[in-house]
Amino acid sequence: MDSNTDLPYSFAVEYSGPPISHRSLPRALPIDISKIPVAAVVPVSRNSSKLLSSMPVVQPIVVSKLLGCNDTIVSPNSVISFNADKNCIGNGTGNGTGAETETTVSPGFEEQSSGEFSDMVNNRDGVGLGGRGESSGTLGFSDSFDKSREFSGNSLAFRACKESLDLNQQDWVSNGSGLSLSFEYPSSRVSSLKTGDCKDEPSFDRKNRLIGFGDIESETESFVDDIDIDVNINININININQGQPEAARVKKEPGVKTKKGVCYRCNKGNRFTEKEVCIVCNAKYCVNCVLRAMGSMPEGRKCVACIGYSIDESKRGNLGKCSRMLKRLLNNLEVRQVMKAEKLCAVNQLPPEYVCVNRKPLCHDELAILQSCPNPPKKLKPGNYWYDKVSGLWGKEGEKPSKIISPHLNVGAPIMPNASNGNTGVFINGREITKVELRMLQLSGVQCAGNPHFWVNDDGSYQEEGQKNTRGYIWGKAGTKLVCAVLSLPVPSKQVYPTGEQFSNTLGQSVPDYFDQIAPRKLLLVGCSGSGTSTIYKQAKILYKEIPFTDEERESIKFIIQSNFYSYLGILLEGCERFEDEALNNTGNQVSENDETVYSIPPRLKTFSDWLLKTMVAGNLEDIFTAATREYAPVVEELWNHPAMQATYKRRNELETLPSVSSYFLEQAAKILSTDYTPSDVDILYAEHVTSSNGLSTVDFSFPLSLDENNDKSEQHNSPRFQLIRVQARGFGENCKWLDMFEDVRVVIFCISLSDFDQYAVDANGNLVNKMLLNKKFFTSIVTHPTYEQMEFLLILNKFDVFEDQLERVPLTCCDWFSDFRPVVSRNSQNKNISSNNINHSPSMGQMASHYVAVKFKKLYASLTDRKLYVSVVKGLDPNSVDQTLKYAKEILEWDEEKPNFNFNEYTIYSSDSGSDS
Amino acid sequence: MSSSSVSELKERHIAATETVNSLRQRLNHKRLQLLDTDIAGYAKSQGKSPVAFGPTDLLCCRILQGHTGKVYSLDWTPEKNRIVSASQDGRLIVWNALTSQKTHAIKLPCAWVMTCAFSPGGQSVACGGLDSACSIFNLTSPTDKDGNIPVSRMLSGHKGYVSSCQFIPDENNYLITSSGDQTCVLWDINTGLRTSVFGVEFQSGHTADVLSVSISNSNSRMFVSGSCDATARLWDTRVASRAARTFHGHEGDVNSVKFFPDGNRFGTGSDDGTCRLYDIRTGHQLQVYSPPHQQQGGTVPDAPMVTSIAFSISGRLLFAGYSNGDCLVWDTLLAKVILNLGSVHNSHEARVSCLGLSADGSALCTGSWDTNLKIWAFGGHRKVI
Repeated sequence: MDSNTDLPYSFAVEYSGPPISHRSLPRALPIDISKIPVAAVVPVSRNSSKLLSSMPVVQPIVVSKLLGCNDTIVSPNSVISFNADKNCIGNGTGNGTGAETETTVSPGFEEQSSGEFSDMVNNRDGVGLGGRGESSGTLGFSDSFDKSREFSGNSLAFRACKESLDLNQQDWVSNGSGLSLSFEYPSSRVSSLKTGDCKDEPSFDRKNRLIGFGDIESETESFVDDIDIDVNINININININQGQPEAARVKKEPGVKTKKGVCYRCNKGNRFTEKEVCIVCNAKYCVNCVLRAMGSMPEGRKCVACIGYSIDESKRGNLGKCSRMLKRLLNNLEVRQVMKAEKLCAVNQLPPEYVCVNRKPLCHDELAILQSCPNPPKKLKPGNYWYDKVSGLWGKEGEKPSKIISPHLNVGAPIMPNASNGNTGVFINGREITKVELRMLQLSGVQCAGNPHFWVNDDGSYQEEGQKNTRGYIWGKAGTKLVCAVLSLPVPSKQVYPTGEQFSNTLGQSVPDYFDQIAPRKLLLVGCSGSGTSTIYKQAKILYKEIPFTDEERESIKFIIQSNFYSYLGILLEGCERFEDEALNNTGNQVSENDETVYSIPPRLKTFSDWLLKTMVAGNLEDIFTAATREYAPVVEELWNHPAMQATYKRRNELETLPSVSSYFLEQAAKILSTDYTPSDVDILYAEHVTSSNGLSTVDFSFPLSLDENNDKSEQHNSPRFQLIRVQARGFGENCKWLDMFEDVRVVIFCISLSDFDQYAVDANGNLVNKMLLNKKFFTSIVTHPTYEQMEFLLILNKFDVFEDQLERVPLTCCDWFSDFRPVVSRNSQNKNISSNNINHSPSMGQMASHYVAVKFKKLYASLTDRKLYVSVVKGLDPNSVDQTLKYAKEILEWDEEKPNFNFNEYTIYSSDSGSDS
Repeated sequence: MSSSSVSELKERHIAATETVNSLRQRLNHKRLQLLDTDIAGYAKSQGKSPVAFGPTDLLCCRILQGHTGKVYSLDWTPEKNRIVSASQDGRLIVWNALTSQKTHAIKLPCAWVMTCAFSPGGQSVACGGLDSACSIFNLTSPTDKDGNIPVSRMLSGHKGYVSSCQFIPDENNYLITSSGDQTCVLWDINTGLRTSVFGVEFQSGHTADVLSVSISNSNSRMFVSGSCDATARLWDTRVASRAARTFHGHEGDVNSVKFFPDGNRFGTGSDDGTCRLYDIRTGHQLQVYSPPHQQQGGTVPDAPMVTSIAFSISGRLLFAGYSNGDCLVWDTLLAKVILNLGSVHNSHEARVSCLGLSADGSALCTGSWDTNLKIWAFGGHRKVI
């Protein structure tokens, strides 16, 4: 690269960077003012083929994603400057002058939208990277120009342009022959075209700041190949500096290819009478054969795949969720329902909040959500200006009488203006001068309106005069009033009166849109250190809530896992056996040298096998051989297991740290497990290790059985809330959990700790031996204080309570440093350990006291870290009921969490109506 | 033999670990002694002046919108200007960077994706994440009836999440992944099997999650890996058993490693808020790039973390994405920030999670948790450097 010779940047020379092989890539080059593109006469000879029918088009493009490559993308908010006047008059060579009038482009456009289009044509402030087609065929063109003039007065200029473009292109097409639209760079670049190279030049303008790099080659990647219009595109991205107009930055879409009227946009077949489905974003129409291909799985309703993520054409809002016959033919009922639901509810299809002004203030996202999710929302909300009386709930279009009474006290928009409904009666309701019709209604319903009073009307219809305390009456109280209202077409309050507070949906202060709740399951994140039993709880959830917890294939693979686990247990036992044998020999060896048989000695025949097993385990390929091993060695294994040496070792299993406690469950039914036709039962699976952990993450979607919801009157709206339990395997005791911030959308974090960890030790990252409970504590702290989980609810599961109880009989809880101040109050009559902990007549068992103490420890820790409350649940992972209860507890936590913001919100909207919207 | 009981072994292990640690300290000490200057100091003494960068020299010229979740990773094709990006919405999107078109949107079986990569030929993309597997998608394979591209190869074998993957340059069938199981793996895509596993044996590999790999362009047998153990390690793909060199210096997780264009150096970005440049031949740390506010007082506890780095085509510039949404352009020679893409108009609104330079160096793509990707191109009087 020549730039390498540039002296100040000689660094590259010093290090002799690799040569750049691909020169076909666009390079941003400096631009010279004199090089700002202008059109010049193009020699007819060179481009004669293109001269036939192409039109000059300017097409700057906003941040837009485009369709497949030879789909022409015409920028929606571009103003089309067809060099119109000159071109229409001129012939092909008349372009020279024509192109100089090339225009422009979005940011300025809106401001001038009231102007005439001709103004725009003359306006040379903005420089578009203009496509300038050379054309002699301008038939039908002036027609479209007129169209765009008509539309340019419209504030929604995007659509205007689009329609005019539509028209143009269709005209072109009908024009017929040799369709080759070519949008090309103006003269400064035409020469470079000869090289056939890819040219990209940014164009930079002081006012509009267009920077672009585009390519002229259009056919490089063609994924849509059945369209015969050969289009060269140049694309610009238009950085919109003009921040005052958020609408301008809104992404809009245009259909890729404009074709003949009536044909399918994808296959170009059909006529205007064939049934077609229309993309709700770009208006592209597809025939029955192409719809599914063009629209894919329709995650956001009827949109072309490329339009996904774009906001819809506002004119189509009314059709959202209204299914066509065609779709019903193509998809089954369920799919249609889902697509329509997605179309209506998905976030991008929602009304853009800034299009709705309430009391002269464009709404923000949260405000619109509040407005639409209130129990009494304004029906069929369209973009526009509205006024809203927060006290009474009266709602109307700006400058008009009220049209509806919606839910009061919503924190949307600005305070109401006195002239909101353009009244001239001198009578005020809640600070708004009312209209004549309303005054008539007030008079008819017996409200004294003499002397231009200022009323204060509440949502229940009670009214007071401003400055006075006593309620003077209820406006809508009389039966006749409603009739009067109906006659005067004034709104009356709807019947349902909600106690305020319950009505506000949880959208406030929560970025997850409401629809999301219904479609996506609520996520519960289950984490814990390895060995804390998260996998058991996960498996329990599967067994508890799924009809088919494990498929046959899963069972088959689990069977292999169990069997290979069995081998590894055996290996651990063998290792232990050798160790014990050595120890025994050392102790006795000095005296009895000729008899080196101990109780731990294994006969030679089994020894061969056990040596082989140990060797494979050390080599780490136990998993590779166990399938063969099961068949071949099953009898030997059984014999080995039943050998007194192994049994003796097994008796001392407490000394084998590496032997997991569940191993005994499997070892004790060796014969069954090793048989080839063994199918693991749910319980076996529950006990089995490594069933889920081979995969770092596992999820299960479930919903609680419906009967559980009966006593719960809150969740009627979703017939049964769905949950997703995400279990993540924390490898080791990671302080470095990089994946934690991937789960910001979970609702409750279930942190699992094994109570039995208090006397266990593990090696931490620094190679030190640390008490596992302290490691748990450290991990817990790091998750709780992780920024992603700042506002998250935590449920702490103290797992393995059963093991814990047993353990306490051997080891005091105080052996863990953190629990050194555990002073259990032991009453004399509960000394007897046989008394079941369930017996409520007795004082709590040691296990209960200890677990309670641990819980308090964690609660205090949590409170000191977050100032919030930690939910704790003591669980026996292997006991289905206990897991069931815990997960239901998690659900309740979630529901409390949802209710909480409502109460808060309610409290403060009544007193201050402005503060809520900032949150 | 039998006399060596477990406890004695443990003691010996502890003693050995201590020896290793003290030797390592001495080594570091010695290194510090030998390190009489750094690049910036030397460059200054040679009278070099930093690259002057105007606010318009690097401009955002495309915004790639379409993801609905946080963008976690991106990769450019070696040729043709295509980008693949991975996001928490569970999709990979293949973009045409020139036109901002989406050419493919691939729905992933596991939404928690952390990394993605383009194959050298550009026909396939790889991605990996919390499912502990690396999935390969062939972009040319036909879509199924829902319009999804099926997984053409699943590379499973890691025992932890797949944090990073990169194809071996000019080898469409070999790929290196790094994982939360502390290892890196060289895969043969044709067979779907592990060719070698790096760092599986005891003390020779990383001692914590490996977060990033970068393969040398000049010698594709060499690659570096960065890990949560605050080290970067250099590996030779022929020698899986031990790292060729270990680079200490960082005080936090090494989130990103990237080979310097000449292949003799590599850069790192870390949770400690600094980027560093290491020389693979000497093992020295050549330069620390720490943002101005923390340059004097060493590392600040809550300094924004470096999430991702990339070098310009010549190596003169180092682009570093930070967790606070900044994206600093460093002059590698003088260790000066010459531009902050986080403070210019059109900057990202959330953490810059990944960035990458196009093959010809003309454009930088940044991906952010604000769900967008942005393409920055050299403009004004600035040529590609």
